[in-house]
Amino acid sequence: MDSRIGSLPLKLTAATSGFVLAAAITALFNTALAWTKDAYAPLKVFMKSLTGHDWTTHGLVDLLLFVGLGFIFMHTKVAEKIDPNRLIGVLIGAVGIAALGLALWYAFF
Amino acid sequence: MNISSSDVILLSHAGFGVTGCMAALWVFVEALNARPENAARIRTAAFVAAVCIAAAWICGGYWYVHFYPPEKDLILKGPWPFAHNLFMETKEHLFFITAILALLLPIATRENLYSNATARKLVLSIALLIAMTGLAVEGAGAVIDHGVKVALLHGESKGAR
Repeated sequence: MDSRIGSLPLKLTAATSGFVLAAAITALFNTALAWTKDAYAPLKVFMKSLTGHDWTTHGLVDLLLFVGLGFIFMHTKVAEKIDPNRLIGVLIGAVGIAALGLALWYAFF
Repeated sequence: MNISSSDVILLSHAGFGVTGCMAALWVFVEALNARPENAARIRTAAFVAAVCIAAAWICGGYWYVHFYPPEKDLILKGPWPFAHNLFMETKEHLFFITAILALLLPIATRENLYSNATARKLVLSIALLIAMTGLAVEGAGAVIDHGVKVALLHGESKGAR
């Protein structure tokens, strides 16, 4: 017997939608920070002074941003108000732009 | 046989990365046919993906900070400087996106995928993004490795002449 339950389009929980929006913002922030520290050496030096390596600081900042924004969006239910399909599109678009942005930056600058 | 800690850490990084990508693909395939019976399996696979990518982050990060600088110098002096300037620079930052997506996957799989088409679409998207960016990072790793190899061969052939 097929036990599959009918798949109705439904909303996402506050936790899921909050962390999806946080991931999209973090992906774009990650690329923007990579560009900025590459173009502005004092920032790279400052990031290095915090943990011993700018890459380590970069990763920790990304992680803190993702977790922090995720909890903020979850509690304020901001992301829950966004249409879930649009939210999925935002995540895919953000990852695509962020990835392409990194590759093009290091290819040409 | 001489296997250094650097070799073990580097190969662990690549191994965890591939396993994480495979776990994300496992989530993708299971989610295509989400049922109440495979809900626990989907969550397990998502957890495995997150743990493996986190382990790849720790191993890769340690190796990058402690062992990569001499290899970077070799690459930059060799015939493939783009192996660092383009591939390593892109890889080391793109990896953060893969890692964030891998941490997002277990959160998204807490939804009931078998009764929520939107949640299923989200999980399929995240899993595919992890696999695509993760495999791109793995491919970049191979180019970087080859950048070191051609630099060493180039140095040896110059020395022989």
